[in-house]
Amino acid sequence: MAADQTDQDDHDLLARIQDGNHHAFGVLVRRHTERFYRLAYRYVQRKDIAEDIVQDAFLKLWEHPGRWQAERHSKFTTWFYRIVVHLCLDWQKKKRPLALPAGLCLADTRDTPDAAMLRTQAQTLLEKEIAALPERQRTALNLCFDEELSNQEAAEVMGVHVKALQSLIMRAKARLKERMQRYG
Amino acid sequence: MSDIHDQQLEAMLRARRVEPASPELAERILLKAQGRPQNRTMPLRQWVQRLFAEFHLPQPAYVLACALMIGFIVGWTVSVPHTAEDATETLQAQSFLYVDEDIL
Repeated sequence: MAADQTDQDDHDLLARIQDGNHHAFGVLVRRHTERFYRLAYRYVQRKDIAEDIVQDAFLKLWEHPGRWQAERHSKFTTWFYRIVVHLCLDWQKKKRPLALPAGLCLADTRDTPDAAMLRTQAQTLLEKEIAALPERQRTALNLCFDEELSNQEAAEVMGVHVKALQSLIMRAKARLKERMQRYG
Repeated sequence: MSDIHDQQLEAMLRARRVEPASPELAERILLKAQGRPQNRTMPLRQWVQRLFAEFHLPQPAYVLACALMIGFIVGWTVSVPHTAEDATETLQAQSFLYVDEDIL
């Protein structure tokens, strides 16, 4: 019920933004910046880039408020996730592949006594492998493991059926498992 | 890490680290938006939708209007078939012409 209320609020805010209301834009930005930043960060793994992407997305919304059409889009967040994902993918197409941090020695990881360091290294490897996944598998994974997005919502963002989304996640996980075992 | 199970992988995926955003990110976005004008040109599709919404009529009215339009179009485009009277008139005109030819 609260989520429905928020969606309705978002729709009202967007209608006011379309009339050039800065206050409504402020409320919308403050409400959603954090969640879209989290998603962008999962793609780009860099704070400054993720912030730039979120900023670009919101500024596009401000400059072209007519692109939001309440009749066509069920939820603001679903529609805006799609915009952020596109901006992240555009950025990734232009940049170099994710580099492993200097000094990371895979062969020594078992001998390191510090469990926290092991975990950090495993996470770094995981990020590298996620970055190497096919685009759709990576998007499915990023959307579904964001705690606030259900499979249904993630499928809507990607424009696929829920079953197709589940299949993408399964393939992504199988590939990640296989890849991570190589580092063992 | 030699045998990674689903649960382990999911735990790792859920534990992915996200560096927190700058606390002033939202304010920075708002500040940038202050100096930017809005482009309020509506996409054609949306403009048409709004136009139809202005002249919203109940569905039977649209059906009636469409039926009338189709009727007019069909009426104007389909040629009227020849009748027996038309054929007789044509014959008479032809015989008149032949008569003229004989005289000449």
